[in-house]
Formats: sequence, structure tokens, C-alpha cells
Amino acid sequence: MKASTLARLAVAGNRTDVLRTVLTALSALLATIAMLCAATVLSITGWAGRYTATLLVEPGLRPGVAATLVLVSLPVLALAGQCIRLGAPARDRRLAAIRLAGATPGEAVLIATAETAVASLLGSVTGLVAYLVARAAIGEQHTLPTDVRPPAPVIVLLVLLVPVLAAAIGALLMRRVIVTPLGVVRRVRKRGPRPWPGLLIAAGLVLFALPVQDRFETRIHPSKNLTYVFLGGGVLLTMAGVVLGVGWISYFTGRLLRRYGRGAATLLAGQRLITDPWNGSRTMAALLAAVIAGSVALGYKALLATNFRYYDFYNQVMGSPNDEGIGAGAEPSFYFNAIRLVMVAVGLSAAVAAAGLLIALVESVVARRRAYASLTATGVPRRTLSAAILWQTLTPLVPALLLAIAAGDALVRLIQTDFDLGSAYRECVADAGPRADCRTLAALHLPTVLHVPVPWGDLGLLGAGALLAVLVAVGAGLLVLRSSTDLEELRVG
Amino acid sequence: MSALLSGTGLIRNYGATPALRGIDLEVGAGEIVAVTGPSGCGKSTLLHCLAGILRVDDGTVTYRDQDIGLWSEAARSRLRRTEFGVLFQFGQLVPELTAVENVALPLLLAGTGRREARQTALDWLDRLGVADSAEQRPGTMSGGEQQRCATARALVTVPRVLFADEPTGALDVLTGEQVLGQIVRVAREQGTAVVLVTHEASVAAYADREIALLDGAVDPTGLGLGVTL
Repeated sequence: MKASTLARLAVAGNRTDVLRTVLTALSALLATIAMLCAATVLSITGWAGRYTATLLVEPGLRPGVAATLVLVSLPVLALAGQCIRLGAPARDRRLAAIRLAGATPGEAVLIATAETAVASLLGSVTGLVAYLVARAAIGEQHTLPTDVRPPAPVIVLLVLLVPVLAAAIGALLMRRVIVTPLGVVRRVRKRGPRPWPGLLIAAGLVLFALPVQDRFETRIHPSKNLTYVFLGGGVLLTMAGVVLGVGWISYFTGRLLRRYGRGAATLLAGQRLITDPWNGSRTMAALLAAVIAGSVALGYKALLATNFRYYDFYNQVMGSPNDEGIGAGAEPSFYFNAIRLVMVAVGLSAAVAAAGLLIALVESVVARRRAYASLTATGVPRRTLSAAILWQTLTPLVPALLLAIAAGDALVRLIQTDFDLGSAYRECVADAGPRADCRTLAALHLPTVLHVPVPWGDLGLLGAGALLAVLVAVGAGLLVLRSSTDLEELRVG
Repeated sequence: MSALLSGTGLIRNYGATPALRGIDLEVGAGEIVAVTGPSGCGKSTLLHCLAGILRVDDGTVTYRDQDIGLWSEAARSRLRRTEFGVLFQFGQLVPELTAVENVALPLLLAGTGRREARQTALDWLDRLGVADSAEQRPGTMSGGEQQRCATARALVTVPRVLFADEPTGALDVLTGEQVLGQIVRVAREQGTAVVLVTHEASVAAYADREIALLDGAVDPTGLGLGVTL
């Protein structure tokens, strides 16, 4: 098959396909801009006193800013992944018809993958243009780092990364799909999911703990870059464990619903959860990742607050004024503002993730419209179908949110859970250096320990916010249920 | 007449339900064979197995002395776009492509240049009397036009065998006869063998020979729909 034929077939589509292309391109555009901004921040070298934003000035803070920008791009990429499923029934028919015309199975997958890659490439190139135009329009000033630019190969890599990732997600989604000339068949795993993602969470926590745990004698001392790898890897593994764990949670709660639920709604929801337990992993991945990031940020906020209380208390006991004692120069409001910015990013991510959930929900209702219409025709009330969709969404979501919040807070609690005011400390009597003469002193003998509290209130708000976002998305998605259960649907095709 | 396509001891089950129970048949070059029988007797399954769309559970499908059951899915797909043409009750056209693009699709998939493929497709649409609909999408065409377009797509590669599964089943009697007449005329002109699945005697009457099925096997009474034997 020639490239021109592939391109023509990749852009063939109806109105839903146009919507999918636009949404995919828009997602790719936003993700590309976020990643280019992150790369720009990382391109700043050394102490950058020319900027007014302290977050950009200090070299130690810039990776955090970049990580936050990448955090925003993740749900946007996930949204692109959700968009791939838009118009799936029509695309299935199209691919089957193309197979009937003589396309091989590999060519059918290639066409499906190219559909996503073309839309994403369009979006990421537009994103690059928007990034360059915005830089030129803003000009050189001291608020944003418009005076530095990532190296050209990095820009090319990032612009290509989004379409490649989107195509890979598309190909991944096709791995259980068999396109035959007679139609599209989805292979279903006979065995239910197992709770092995729990091991991923444990591995993530261990990886994160290695460079930060003081109390273990086995603590390792990696280089600065390796520390970032350990910390980032730990967080990513934990996120992956939670997201994949939703498969098992869905399956388990589905069985509970089917066994103990009363009424048709719980029966329908339970059976759907058992039949496709991985649906939750796909649709809630971005939301759960955002919740974990939010939980880490809120846990860290509690840690910082305790740390500043510890400074105050220590300086008070030692009789040192705050501007000379330990922690002098540290401005709490700066750190708390930085965390507030992270929470804004988390909120944005959650909103994008909820939009992805809405798309998935609408797609799922539209794909099953004939089944829903048949149920309505046989007398099943629409409110029962709505309740089934609510049960199906919320049953795995609530435990998944609890797990995400617990995992995020556990990561922070691995750093430190208490500040011991009575512990010994080391004092160096020579200038700091490898050969400094340090001796251990028991400076304080106060039996006082400041515990880092679990920020139950903040975490509760985070969970409630995520739940609310999902409820709004489900509520909006249910609006299409009425039209999709119209008995006219039974007369189509 | 030596067999161009043959099936020997064809067995195909759907789970525990047998669809074909050891069918033998042969199709010669340029021959038109009608496969008839009541609903659920295995006609379509037999056609799908012969066309390489489905694999048989047992038995062999031989095309030009080669057992295509041993071929990979991709190889059988290539066979369908070069040597075979397939036509279903509903045209199975790609709804997002125009009529001319649909007809050109097998050629484009085989690597033919776009201009050449388009011209050949236009010629075929003209030959089947639907050249005026070349730039229309299937959704805006009548059932008869769609089926003519699908016929053009099935024949555009000048296949040696055309598999037609109830090709006029969704058309009114008059349009059905017109479409069938065109299929048979073109097949005769270019020496294409046709395996025609139908449950209508009037359709089976266009065939040189009829094979009647009953419960997944060749009907031992051989009565079929009462056409030429």
C-alpha cells in the first residue's frame, strides 16, 4: 500500500471522525506546548537571577516546575488516548469494509494507527507553531524564560513524541481487536484480573524510599540525577500500580455488586464491570494520576508546615531569633505558593481527565445504543439504565480514589513522619568540606517529637473534588442516554 | 473441465454447533455455481470458507492446486484482492469514501497508482451503468446503485473467482434482476467463475449448476431449488 493511499484512508471519516480528529489534534497541541514549556524551563542554566519568578531562579526548583508542566501534559495525552475510541463502531465497519476489499490484517491496524498519528501530528506541529509565535509575541522580558530555547533536536523529539505516543496507544488498543472482512471482533480475556498491581505499588514505594529513608542502614546515596530517577520512578511505578489496580478493583467490586446488589441496575453494572474490568483503568487513569500528584503535594505541604513549626520551636528553645536560627531565610509563603501552583495544575489535570471520562462515557453509551434501546423497548426504565451507569462508574472509583490518595500520602510519609527535637545533631567546627571536623552533640534533651499530621481535611477535599468532577462528567454523559435509547435506534441498519 | 477451486471434506463448527459437515465441491474456470438451501443450512459459511475469509476446522480448500488453508491471513487477504472478488447482500462499501474511491480501493491496496486506479474504477462504474454516481458516497446512493458499485469493486481486479453472497437479497425484484444480469454478463465476458449463494430459485436460475445444502451437508436428494443439474 502506498503512503498516499494510507493517508487517504487515514483521513476518511464521518462527522464523529472529524470530531475525533479535532479533539485528538487539540490534545496533542496542548500536550506539545506543555512539554515544550517544560523543556524551556530545563534549558535555563545555573542561578538565573534575571527572572522575577523565584521558581525559575533557583536551579533546584526548576525540575519541579518542569515536572508540574509534564504532569499537566499527562492527562492531556490520556485525553488523546480516549479520543481514539470516539466513533469506534463506524470505524469498525469501515475497517471491515477495507479488509473485504483486500487489505491484510496488518494494513487494517496500520490504517487505524495512522488515523491517530496523522491527527496528533497535525496538533503537535500546530503546538510548535503556537509556541514559537507566542515566544516572538511576548519578546524578551523577566517573567517568562523567552530568552532561552531548548536545543533543536529536543524540540523535534518532543514534536514527534506526541504522535508516536498516540500511535502507540492506538496500536495498543488494537492488540485485542481482530479486524475481519465480516466485522470486528474483540478478544476478551477469560480470566479475571489479579491483584498483582499491588506489587507495583510496593515496588514504587520502595524505589522512592531508597534515597530518602534515613532510618534504614541500607540507605543508598545516589547522585543528584539518579535521585531524581529513583523519586520519579517510584512515583510512576506507584501511579501505574494504582491505575492497573483499578482492573482488579472493578472485577472484585463487580462480583460483589452482582452477588449482593438488589435490582436490575446493580445487576447490569456488576456484569459490565466483570465483563470489561479494564475499562476503569483506561478511563480513570489520568484522573487517578492527578489525584496521586495532588495527594503527594498536600502531604508535602503538611510536611513543610511541620518543618517550619519545628524551626520556630527549635529557635524558640535555643533563644535564637528566627532570622538567625535554623531555617533562617526560608520563606514559608514561597513554598506554600509553589504547592498552590501544583494544586492548580492538579485541578487542571483533573478537569481534563473528567473531560476524557465524559468522552469515554458518551462513546460507550453510543456504542451500546441498540442494546439500550432494546432494553427500553422491553420495559426497562431509563432511570434504571442511568443508575446502572452510575453504579458502574462509582463502584470502582471510590476505592480507587482511596487507594490513590493513600498511595500519594504514603510516598510523602516515606520522606519523614516526625521531627525529633531531642535528637542529637552534628556540628562542624571547621569550614564545611570533606575533611571538616564534625562532632556529634546532644544539644537538646527535650522529649518532644513533632509528628507530621495526615492532612485528612485537604485529602478529603481532594477526593471529594475528584468525585464531583466524575459526577459532573457522568451527569453530562447521561444526557445522551435519552436520545440513545430512542426506539428509532432499533430501526437503524 | 478441471477444477479451479475445490473444497474437500469441509467441516466448520461454531462452538458446539456444526455449520458444515464434510462438504465436497468443485468449481471450474468460468463456471457459475449456485449454492442454495434454506436459512441456516451453511451456505454463507461455505462461501466464506471457499473465499478464505474463514478457516475450515477440517478438510481442504484448494485454489489452482494450492491448499489456501495453509496460507497466512495476510496471504489470503492478498489472494482476495488479486484473484478473488467478494460481493455481499449489503454492499459493504466504505461509507466514508466516494463510489469511485471504493471501486479503486482494491487496486490502491495492491499498489496501483492513484490516477490509473481511478480511471480503471471509472471505466468499471461506466460498464455497470453507475458512472453518474462516481463522486457520491454510498449513503446518498440507492440500494441498486450501491450494489452495482460493490459489483464493480468486486470485479475491478478482473478476478478469476467471484463470491457473491445473496447479492440481490436487499433489492427489489426488478433491480435485483438487473444487477444479477450484469454480474453474470460481465463474469461470462471475462471468464470469471462465480460462486453464487442464494435461497431464491429465480437467482439460482442464472447459474450453470446448483449445489443444494441441507443442515451443513450437500442435500442427498439433490432437489435444491429445482434448477439445472
